[in-house]
Parts: sequence; C-alpha cells; structure tokens
Amino acid sequence: MLWPLGATAGLLALGWLPRVQQSPQVAWAVWGAAVGLLAWQVLLALRFRSGGMPGLTFTTPRAQHYIQACCQLSIYAYWGQFWPPVYQYFPLLLAQMLFAYAFGMLLSWTRKQPYQMGLGPVPIILSTNLFMWFKDEYYPLQFVLIAVGVLGKVFVQWERDGRRVHIFNPSAFTLALFSLILITTGQTSMTWAQEIAPTIGLGPHTYKVMFAVGLVAMYNFSTTPVSATAAATLFIGSGLVMAIAGVPYFVDSDIPAAVFLGLHLLVTDPSTSPRTTVGRVIFGMGYGVSVFALYAILGALGAPTFYDKLLCVPILNLLVPTIDRLVTRLGDRPLFDRLGFSGPLGRANLPHMAVWVLFFGAMTMRGVTDGMHPGDALPFWQQACEAGKPKACDRMLNIEANYCRDNAGWACNELGRHFTEGRLVSADAERAFGYFSRACEARYQPGCLNMISEPTDAVVATAPRPFDLRLLLREGGPNLLEMNEPDLYARACRHGWTEACPKAAAAR
Amino acid sequence: MDRGLPESRGGTMNGSPTTPQPPRAGRRRLPAAALTLALAVMGTMRAPMAQGGLPPMPEWIDVAGATLAMGAGTDPEAYDNERWPSATGTGPVPVAGFLLARTETTVAQFGAFAVATGWRSEPRALAEAPDLPVTFVSWTDAVAYTRWLERALRSTPSAPAVVRDRLAAGWHVRLPTEAQWELAARATDGRRYPWGNEARPDRATYNTTGPTPVGQHPCPECVLPLADMSGNVWEWTSSPYQPYPFTAADDRTGLEADALWVMRGGHFGDPPRLLRATARGAAEPGARRAFIGFRVALVPPAR
Repeated sequence: MLWPLGATAGLLALGWLPRVQQSPQVAWAVWGAAVGLLAWQVLLALRFRSGGMPGLTFTTPRAQHYIQACCQLSIYAYWGQFWPPVYQYFPLLLAQMLFAYAFGMLLSWTRKQPYQMGLGPVPIILSTNLFMWFKDEYYPLQFVLIAVGVLGKVFVQWERDGRRVHIFNPSAFTLALFSLILITTGQTSMTWAQEIAPTIGLGPHTYKVMFAVGLVAMYNFSTTPVSATAAATLFIGSGLVMAIAGVPYFVDSDIPAAVFLGLHLLVTDPSTSPRTTVGRVIFGMGYGVSVFALYAILGALGAPTFYDKLLCVPILNLLVPTIDRLVTRLGDRPLFDRLGFSGPLGRANLPHMAVWVLFFGAMTMRGVTDGMHPGDALPFWQQACEAGKPKACDRMLNIEANYCRDNAGWACNELGRHFTEGRLVSADAERAFGYFSRACEARYQPGCLNMISEPTDAVVATAPRPFDLRLLLREGGPNLLEMNEPDLYARACRHGWTEACPKAAAAR
Repeated sequence: MDRGLPESRGGTMNGSPTTPQPPRAGRRRLPAAALTLALAVMGTMRAPMAQGGLPPMPEWIDVAGATLAMGAGTDPEAYDNERWPSATGTGPVPVAGFLLARTETTVAQFGAFAVATGWRSEPRALAEAPDLPVTFVSWTDAVAYTRWLERALRSTPSAPAVVRDRLAAGWHVRLPTEAQWELAARATDGRRYPWGNEARPDRATYNTTGPTPVGQHPCPECVLPLADMSGNVWEWTSSPYQPYPFTAADDRTGLEADALWVMRGGHFGDPPRLLRATARGAAEPGARRAFIGFRVALVPPAR
C-alpha cells in the first residue's frame, strides 16, 4: 500500500508547484485526483484488512518502454526549446504519471491481481500529451483521459498469438475516443490540441529531429514498414494533389508536423501492429490513406482537421487480425522476398531504413519538410485564388485570419477588404469595420483610414509593412522580429512579395 | 492553418442586442443590467441626456465656418510641432461650419453605446462615474462610437431638428479634425487658451490628479459655449499625426509609417503649456489611457 500512497502524496505535493498553482482549476484537479486515489486506497485497505492484498512484482524495464520514452522526451526537449510552455508543462506530466501508476496499482488490486511495476505508463503519458492537453479550466478531464487509457489497456483485450493482449494502442485509443467525443459535442475548444499542433513545427529542424528520433524507434523495433510507408503514402499523395490541383493538400506542408510525429511515435506500438512486414506496410499505408481521407472529411464537416491523425488509429488496430489473415492468404511471393518483406520481422530492417533515409532526403531536397513550403507564401494563395484553384480562396482567407490573429495589421485590413468588397465572402460592413479596427489597433494606418472612410470610397491598402512581414514570412516557425531588414526583404521576395524585391536588391 | 476566421474587433454596430460578440480574453465586461441601471439613475441626474427616451446624447454647439490661422505662430511656449513652416508660424486653413459636442463624451454616453452594441471596450472605460469624461478609450473605440451615434441619431425621430436636417443633408458624426478642433477652441483671434491668453485654474482642470465631471467650469470669456476644450482629458481627433502644414487630404500620405493620431487639449495632469489650443499630442490608435477621451462633431460631407 506504500507505493500508491507515495504516488498520492507526490501528487498532493505537486499541487503546490507554481505551474499548478497558476490556475486554481489545475490545482484542484491535481488535489481532487489525489483525494480520489486516497479514498480508493482506504476502501481497499478495509477490503483487505484481514490480509490477502495482492502485491507488486517488479518487471525488467522493457526496451519498447524506455527507448520510446527517451524518443518522446527528445521531442519534448526540442519542442520546448522553441515553445517554452512545454517545459512549464513538465510538472503536469509528472502529475499524470503519478496518477497513472497509482491508478494502475489500485485497479489491479481491486481485481485481486498483483501489479506489474514497470515503465509502461511512461510512454503512454508522454505520447498522449504530445497531442492533447486540456485547457486549465477543464484540467480534471486530463486525469479522466489517463484513467480511460489505463482502463482501455486492461479491459479491452483479445486473444492474439495465444496471449491476451490489449487491442488498442493505449494512448491512441484514448486520444481517438476523446477526439470523437469532443468533435461530436462541439467541444474541441476544451483542449489545446488544435493550438499546440502548429507549435511542434516552430523549430527550424523539426522534421529532421523527428526523422532522427524515428530512426531510433525503427532500428530497435522494426517499425520502419509502418512509419516509412505512412510517410511515403502522405508525401506521394500530397505531391499528386499538388501536381493535379496546383495547390498543396495540407495547406503549408506535405505532411503536417504533428502527423509526421504521429506516424513515428503514435502508431508504432508493436503490440497493436501486424506481426509481419507486409502487414506493417499495409498498416502504414492504411494510416497514410486514413489521415488523407479524414483531413478532407473533417474539413467538409466543418470540424477541426487536427484530429485526422488521431481518429483512425483504433480502427487500424481493429483491422490488425484482418491484415494478418490477408497476409497469410497472400503467402510468400517472390516480390515480397525481393523487397525484403518475407521472413521474420526485421529481417531486412536496415535496408528498409536505408531506403527511408534516401526517400526522406529526397523529400527534404524537394523542400517539403523543413524550410519554406510553397503553401507558406501568401502570394501563392492569392494567385491560386485569382486563378480559381480549388479551395484556394478559403485557404487564403484562413491564412490571413491566422496572421490577423497574430496582430499583422495588413492581414486584418485584407479581411476587412474582403468583407467590404463581398467578392470572396458575403459583404458584411460590420465585420469589415471590426477587421479594419483590428488593423488600426495594430498601427496599420490604412485600417484606420478605412474605419472613417465613406462607404463609396475605395478600400485603402498598402504592401505589408516590415512588422507585418516579420509575421507573414515565418513559414510556420517563430516570428522574425530579430531579422534584419535586408534579409527580411530578400525572404519576402522569395515568398512572392514583388514589392520587396527592389528593396532587397537595394539593400545588398 | 485552418482555425477559421477570427472574430472581428468589436460587437455589432447596428445596436442589435441579439448578436453580441464574446468578450475579449482576459477582459471583463460590465454586466449589461448593471450598466442599464446606472444609466437610468444617471438619466435623472442630467436632463439633456434623456430627452424622449433617447440614450444620453451630446448637446451640439454650432461652430461657424472660417479660415483659421492654424498653428502656434510666435508663441514662445509653443513646441516645434505646432509651428507652420512659414514666416508667421501659422497657415490659413479654411474650415466649413460644423457642430461640435459641448462636452467631452461621458462615461454614460459611451456606456449606452457599449450596451447597445456589445462593443468590447476596456472595462475601466465604464467603471467611473457617469458624468466624468470617458477615458481608457482607444481611437478605434471613439470612431466606433461616432458610427453608432450617427445611426442612433438617424433612427431617432425625436433627435433635434438641427441634427436631423444636417444628417439628411449628408453630414456625418465624426471625431473633429484637428483644424476643426482648433477653430472651435480658439476661434480666429489667435488666443492661446479658449478663454484668453493666461492659464486659469477656474476655467479648466489641469495640474491635478484626475478628471472632473464634464462642463464644471463656466467660461464666459470663451467665444463658444464649449466645455473643457482645455484640460480634463486629451481629445482624439480624426487627423493622423503629420508635420505641418495641415491639409485636409494629408491623411493619404505616409501610409507605411505606423499609425499615430492627433489628440488635442491636454489633460488633468498636464501643466498649462500643454493646455494651449495649438498644442498637439499624438498616440497610437490602440492606446487606452486614463487621460485620453474624445468629443464628437457633426460635420458636412468631405466633398
């Protein structure tokens, strides 16, 4: 009983840390979780007061737990370098881990089974929190999320290879379940999921870091067929859409950074993946195709597209026996053998990794990983919109809206212009006035003038100011407040802001 | 990149109470019921504000058109930005006649606008006594108020005839330009303050720690019966800050520079030098400060 008591005490103590105290709701969530665990311990103590309490057995740390945890921590470390809230969030990660351990122990003992103490909960917590944080005011739900993950792992099991194993990847199961609930109830704003996803890409080498971390998992767990095939499916799909439609499928990337993270660290749980290389290739392709399809479906339904990467994993987990049966039916084929897909899992892992390294290198050379993506440039979307390319105008409006939110007065003024002119959106003088007001407060003088102009006057606009460019040119990374003006204009010229090209040339 | 369009800056401008915008994050709105109650109480205090069930409306003063010798000329107390680049330090600016609110816009008047539109103003703007000049209002808040006031006046049959007629003739409620403001403050006789050439504590609120209710200082020496043109709070104008000479069309130049808008009149904490009718202040349009307010004008169409 000392272990859960210790975890509970730790949880209580964490409630006094500054990050937790920063929000009363978080503090009460942490203390509430601790009190709940304490009450459960009291009940168990009463139940087993005459003895017979199942104990603990310590298991040898498993590589798939500690290596995966190290990979995940590497991502957190890099992410936090460029987005400090990640580091500030660490006490809350610790609180969730203490909760998960205590919850797992008490659940086992309630079921009269000894608890196997290992590192299992660590990667589950880390993986879950790479994708979803409940906002402070709803923080109790973060503990519910963890509890559901533990319950899912324990209770949702099936027979596989003669062993009872969990059906679903524990973190992906809870993420998908909660995503579905949040979307169907229209409560996606309760979490920071949608907001934190772009912050993963703030680092200048995010894709390369994820790629490198992914190689560790690939080397140790032969996950190359899953991750590489999923990535290749998405890269190829995006490339095809760009070639056919002339606009990027995922707006400003060929694979959004959070999806790239997911295909390395979310869908690669060996316990819930097919057992053959061919099966894993199918599984990876399935993930890529599912993300592709869900992005379009969620967008069409007006739901946040962020959830594309989370919703499909449990379905793929459920399909694993079907995939295994299909592979058995396919049997050994010469092509599989030539591709290194036959034989025991991992037989050709290193050659497969080499192919993946070459493929990723080619994609990086093409400029569709880190660095500037064609969809990063607003002039690209303006031209695509003018040319009537599919969805280009909607995306241009969304991009302008994001920059307006970031306080780029130029972007707010453009939105005001659209609502005044009524060409891309229905004319709405009130919304136009509101956007002009935001532009003006961002010290963009044309916005102020548009606020006081006569309805018959033409909308006043200029090229983006240097301040606006520092936001508009950030390419998904941090703003460019420190960049000198010659570099800024050169970058603007590369983005297609033609007015900036003479300034860039003059500055040289 | 697809988080949807952000809400625009304010609430609705048509006064519909059914379509309020959510409050800005981290800011508190005065409950509408509390404010309505405050306005009702205040309506019994200040007769001009409750004519015919109207929201508290400004009292208008007619400012006759004239050619203003704008600028501080040779006034030794003047700052450089008040002098025209001419031998006299002034320049002729023709100003058409217009109406100007007798007082600075009050908390009550601005509160009526905030309640009617849901415009998300700074909570401190509505936290003071109803007859104080409204402060903590940005230039954008002031412009939004003028827009609403014009609609309210147009849709109110009981608005004064002089106002109705001029609105019908195409006039608009605006912030005054700085030329209009200066003409109203000192007329055409070149006086330093609205009442004369010497600072007088009984004529204006200055060198103190806070504003006073509007219209507290009688001014028999003033050319026009306008209150608090000097002191109390700085007043936003509809002129972007540009070096002199002033022209009515100078707002289309220098658009790439960060916006700054002219304020006139000085505030309660200023020394007399800043209360002079030619003194020019400027602030960024989003500035909400304890010493900045505004008054409104009813002006003829620009062309």
